[in-house]
Amino acid sequence: MITQEKYRTTVKELLANGTIKMAIGYRPGSTPDRRRPLFIRTSEEADQLVLDSTCITNLSGYLVTEGLLSDEKQVGIFLRPEGIRSINILAAEYQLNVDQIVIFGFDSTGREVRPLQGRNAGDFSALLTEIKENPPLTSKEPLLERVEKMNAKERFDFWQEEFSRCIKCYACRQACPMCYCRRCIVDSNQPQWINTSSHTLGNFEWNVVRAFHLSGRCVQCGNCDRACPVNIPLRLINQRMAKEVVDGFDHFAGLSPTQEPVLASFKKDDTETFIL
Amino acid sequence: MAKIGVFICHCGENIAAKVDCTKLAAAMGEHPGVAVSVEYKYFCSDPGQESVKKAIRENNLSGIVIAACSPRMHEATFRKACAEAGLNPYLCEIANIREQCSWVHTDKDMATEKAADIVRSMVEKVKRNNKLQPIEVPVTRRALVIGGGIAGLQAALDIANAGQEVVLVEREPSLGGHMAQLSETFPTLDCSQCIMTPRMVETAQHPKIRLLTYAEIESVDGYIGNFKVRVRMKSRYVDMKKCTGCGDCITKCPVKKISSEFDCGLGKRTAIYTPFAQSVPNMPVIDKASCIYFKNGKCKTCQKSCELNAIDFEMQDEFIDLEIGAIVVATGFQVQNTALYGEYGYGKFPDVITGLQFERLASASGPTAGKILRPSDGKEPENVVFIQCAGSRDPSKGVRYCSKICCMYTAKHAMLYAHKVHDGKTHIFYMDIRAAGKGYDEFTRRAIEEDEASYVRGRVSKLWQENGKLMVRGVDTLLGKPVTVVADMVVLATAMVPQPNAKEFAKTIGIAYDEYGFYNEAHLKLRPVESSTAGVFLAGACQSPKDIPDSVAQASASASKVLALFSKEKLEREPVIAVNNEATCAGCWGCVLACPYNAIEKKDIRDRSGKLVKQVAYVNPGLCQGCGTCVTFCRSNSLDLAGFTEKQIFAEVMGL
Ligand SMILES: Cc1cc2nc3c(=O)[nH]c(=O)nc-3n(C[C@H](O)[C@H](O)[C@H](O)COP(=O)(O)OP(=O)(O)OC[C@H]3O[C@@H](n4cnc5c(N)ncnc54)[C@H](O)[C@@H]3O)c2cc1C
Ligand code: SF4
Ligand code: SF4
Ligand code: SF4
Ligand code: SF4
Repeated sequence: MITQEKYRTTVKELLANGTIKMAIGYRPGSTPDRRRPLFIRTSEEADQLVLDSTCITNLSGYLVTEGLLSDEKQVGIFLRPEGIRSINILAAEYQLNVDQIVIFGFDSTGREVRPLQGRNAGDFSALLTEIKENPPLTSKEPLLERVEKMNAKERFDFWQEEFSRCIKCYACRQACPMCYCRRCIVDSNQPQWINTSSHTLGNFEWNVVRAFHLSGRCVQCGNCDRACPVNIPLRLINQRMAKEVVDGFDHFAGLSPTQEPVLASFKKDDTETFIL
Repeated sequence: MAKIGVFICHCGENIAAKVDCTKLAAAMGEHPGVAVSVEYKYFCSDPGQESVKKAIRENNLSGIVIAACSPRMHEATFRKACAEAGLNPYLCEIANIREQCSWVHTDKDMATEKAADIVRSMVEKVKRNNKLQPIEVPVTRRALVIGGGIAGLQAALDIANAGQEVVLVEREPSLGGHMAQLSETFPTLDCSQCIMTPRMVETAQHPKIRLLTYAEIESVDGYIGNFKVRVRMKSRYVDMKKCTGCGDCITKCPVKKISSEFDCGLGKRTAIYTPFAQSVPNMPVIDKASCIYFKNGKCKTCQKSCELNAIDFEMQDEFIDLEIGAIVVATGFQVQNTALYGEYGYGKFPDVITGLQFERLASASGPTAGKILRPSDGKEPENVVFIQCAGSRDPSKGVRYCSKICCMYTAKHAMLYAHKVHDGKTHIFYMDIRAAGKGYDEFTRRAIEEDEASYVRGRVSKLWQENGKLMVRGVDTLLGKPVTVVADMVVLATAMVPQPNAKEFAKTIGIAYDEYGFYNEAHLKLRPVESSTAGVFLAGACQSPKDIPDSVAQASASASKVLALFSKEKLEREPVIAVNNEATCAGCWGCVLACPYNAIEKKDIRDRSGKLVKQVAYVNPGLCQGCGTCVTFCRSNSLDLAGFTEKQIFAEVMGL
């Protein structure tokens, strides 16, 4: 509660003195433990701000709404550490300018919410390095362990089974802050690599393509997981890909706004000779 | 409507023996969109090509598929035929039913079925092919020759004498390479330096050649006709504009006991030095690692002795950026370190030396002024044993290949020794005598018949010292019994191996190499002087072990390739390049980073009032090499590769 009150005041101040034109936060949702996004432009709207342990959605995807940042004015946003990482990735991929983003950082343990020190993306590098060294456990850990223990065939069957439920609603893509392409690869139909009609044909391809597109970029915010109407544990596959990238390239996604995208950077002195 | 012509080649028996071409032609004739489907013995022959052209004209074909050998062989041939018949050459596709089918299968029915799959998939592709126009790029008429051995010199002189500019980069302080170290050369026994030094001087004085010695290639970017090369000029600590090469500094330098690289450790040099008396350029360098001043800040004797004030201890490495059209790589070889043969005692017994060291002993300008004196006590050896294939043709410890020159130079060494030490005795242990070459067999016969070299066919198993003598134990396989020869000196014909940094260097310039580090030619038989990278040519022993005549011949051949390239003002490049869909590009710049050729730029999209709407990726057609890296990277699927569009590939896959 104290954190929420403090942040309400801060947002009001920054809006009043013109530092930010808007703040993106949370407001009550349809049930007590659901939250909706709140776009605060006025002092009154700031009074609706809710900040508690149920505020888990990563809001950073709203920042790349077309036109929002084109006036070069600053926008404030409430973010957990994963959200800060996605801001960094968006900056590294030139989707936004970090100088325009004022971060209201927070985190929670149990029901307790506490603010994070800092306002600009750069202020959180110590915190993010700490997370890289000691990644927090997620609720998915037991399932992850189970899947890890499977052999290749069992794992394939597991995912095929999971993906067979997919109805290709693309809610995962819509919810993921990293899925900002104007046109997604599934929407390109000349040729149609991935079948988009709503039966199981193409389900595996779609989900695997998305996993590839997220590798080295996913911050494990869980937006996709929560968005999926058929409860496919999507975060799991992305979490695993993130681990591969950390192990293989020592690349922890979203550590800084200038981090080179791992799968795009090419070094001439690379020991792999496949390219020349 | 597509009107595709399918031409199925028998390639003599190469294809017809395993693929039922008649059946295949009939099957393809049934495929939708195929207007003509015919077979012939050799479509690449003149009448074969004529029949293709005729079919195109008569049936007004919209595309053709040649089902034959690999596109590497004849794609160009058939594209040309298309163009001559008035069809855009990029509407021609090759279905490889030889290397990828008939050559690798035994069952005729199954091979025929597979051939049908391959052809069908190409028919589906060619239906979606677009007319493409070749891209023209300008050619920078300036050649870079890397390495100043005999191969590099020859290439540089040939190109320069044809009136084109050359930059010659040599990493050592002087030109010359190995040939400058040799005494006399087989098969004519002319003095190596006497024929080498005039070439070195001619190169240095040539108005069209820019000589950069004590220099190394830092980076190579760009592509054929348009390379950008950065050269590091290592600091000599001697100002080449002031120095006249008087050598006062060298005589005064107090550090005199450094083992000379040029004399293979048999002679000594100073810390400020020229590698040898006839060095070109004849200007010294300071060997920083041995110089007292660089070690403890005191000395500068050389600087005091130099009247022209040419010595500058503050000198730094400098970089020179060059625009280059073609590159000749002539970086040579090194002799294998024989220490790995413990049984030969190299490094343990001072009188066991390498062939290259023998060259220095026999050279009139060498440490013994041309007298054959053994290193341990400076006495003239009365018995010398030569061991051939010391490292070559030895898969267990050395290299598998034959170094090609050792038989010849060992015969030469035996002759030189016989000429200098009249009552000396030589034994040569050998596996075979390989003396193929003009005048070569005659040369080795002379060594045996006139200079009484005694050849023992067999390998040496052990070498030890006894009463001040070297004992060489081997088998005489012709007599079938072990022999022990007493020697005063032993000479090892060490293998010719690639330069120590050959592989890394190949990566810097972007060419391919074999398992040893010798540089790969584009085609062993038909394109032996071209590397796998367009615009980069090979000369001399960097490609494979070679003697001087072969190195020179290959150098002249590369020079002619360079000159052919420079005879055009513009080059035509394949229009296989990436194109971006600006409407869907998300501007993530992943492709910009991923492109290994730096071919992608950021482009501003503005509205009518000039306001920036967004930035998108733009592929520079002059720089793009069509590798497709960006295409695979792009998440939004905005990039596509002309000639290999996703539509085409998709159709190809679906056609299978
Ligand atoms: C013991 C011995 C005896 C021989 N006797 C004979 C003989 O009698 N007759 C005969 O025909 N052949 C003989 N040969 C073979 C002859 O030496 C070679 O054929 C010849 O030297 C090959 O010339 P090259 O220019 O290719 O290489 P090299 O002579 O090795 O020259 C290569 C040059 O490139 C320079 N270089 C290397 N790397 C770089 C780099 N990265 N950047 C810039 N410069 C670089 C080197 O410093 C060197 O100057 C003999 C060889 C040996 C070992
Ligand atoms: S893939 Fe899922 S967990 Fe990863 S960043 Fe996107 S929404 Fe978050
Ligand atoms: S949200 Fe779930 S159901 Fe919808 S497309 Fe993604 S994986 Fe499929
Ligand atoms: S990778 Fe694709 S989306 Fe990203 S900048 Fe390049 S073309 Fe645009
Ligand atoms: S295809 Fe793409 S990555 Fe390859 S050279 Fe062209 S622009 Fe660069």
